Amino acid sequence: MTYSYIKPRVKKVVSTELQLVLVFFSISAMMLFLTYGFLKLKIYTFEQSIIRIEEKKVDLNDAILKMQNQISVIEQESDKAEKITTENSVLKESIKNLFDLVPDRITLSQVDLRKDALIIYGTTPSKEVYEFLLQAPLRSIFNTTYTSFYQLENGWLSFVSTNKIDNKEVLK
Amino acid sequence: MKSFKLSRQNLYLLIITLFLLIFILLFAFAVLIPAGKDYRQARSVTNKHSIELSQYQQLSDETFQELKSLQEKHRNVITAFDNQFNQERFIAQNRRFFQNLQISKMSKLDEKLPFDLYEVNATSKIDSPVVFYNFLDSLNKGNWIIGVNFPIHFKRDGELINSSFTMRVYNISDGRNESNVTKETNATVTR
Repeated sequence: MTYSYIKPRVKKVVSTELQLVLVFFSISAMMLFLTYGFLKLKIYTFEQSIIRIEEKKVDLNDAILKMQNQISVIEQESDKAEKITTENSVLKESIKNLFDLVPDRITLSQVDLRKDALIIYGTTPSKEVYEFLLQAPLRSIFNTTYTSFYQLENGWLSFVSTNKIDNKEVLK
Repeated sequence: MKSFKLSRQNLYLLIITLFLLIFILLFAFAVLIPAGKDYRQARSVTNKHSIELSQYQQLSDETFQELKSLQEKHRNVITAFDNQFNQERFIAQNRRFFQNLQISKMSKLDEKLPFDLYEVNATSKIDSPVVFYNFLDSLNKGNWIIGVNFPIHFKRDGELINSSFTMRVYNISDGRNESNVTKETNATVTR
């Protein structure tokens, strides 16, 4: 004899409702853990990236310093080369001007070109020729000019002209 | 009034639900939100470092371009400073200007000076002083950085002019080391 209209059910330790709740919370907890894991992984990736970036920055900084040093050396070398080239050109012009300065009637036997002085040895037919044709232009260039003459057997005069300058830039 | 009855099973269900809810809330507020904050902070710092790195990279590229441009522009000067002076080659190159050309190395008073001193004795014809100017011009176009030094002596010897002077041959040995540095630098930049 039956006392119920429904069939008897087997009683479970974990009911269907509880199963539903457990599944729901398990999925939620899993999503939370996954999110947490993802965040931790990203943080680790960022930290590693920062370390790599720092290393690259140090390398780049070293490279930049070396290149700037190299640039500085090249600029110094270029300036020095230009200065030497200019000095050679100025010297050439100075020597050219000196030889152009000497008139045909005066013969030079020796020239000493120094940084701040010019010493000329030569012969002249007369003192006047020397004074008018050579001493006058020399005086216009040099601050002090001193000349001594010696009589030669052929009637000409041998002279030694010592010319000094204060401003060194004129010669070099 | 109808009394509210809770079965034992529903009570367990309620307790477990509350427990799990509290756990999830605690986990979210105590762990997940701080982690999210750390993540945002780390991302911000990484972006900042990345921007700095790109600025460094840009500066490095600009400096490299400037260096390359300078090296190209002053190639002759750099080569001339790096070239070792060769007396025989110098004489061979400049003998055409003179009847006779001799050079001899002088001892340096100060080893730290960046140049070597050479004494030059040259003989040229008296009717062609222009060769001396040409010689000075050729020094400026030569393989080495050479400066003619004072004093310069010219002495007439019959139909010839004997000239003697010293010249400074500049040779910067550090320049070669720096060239190596350049290669390292380029390697670093392109890395």
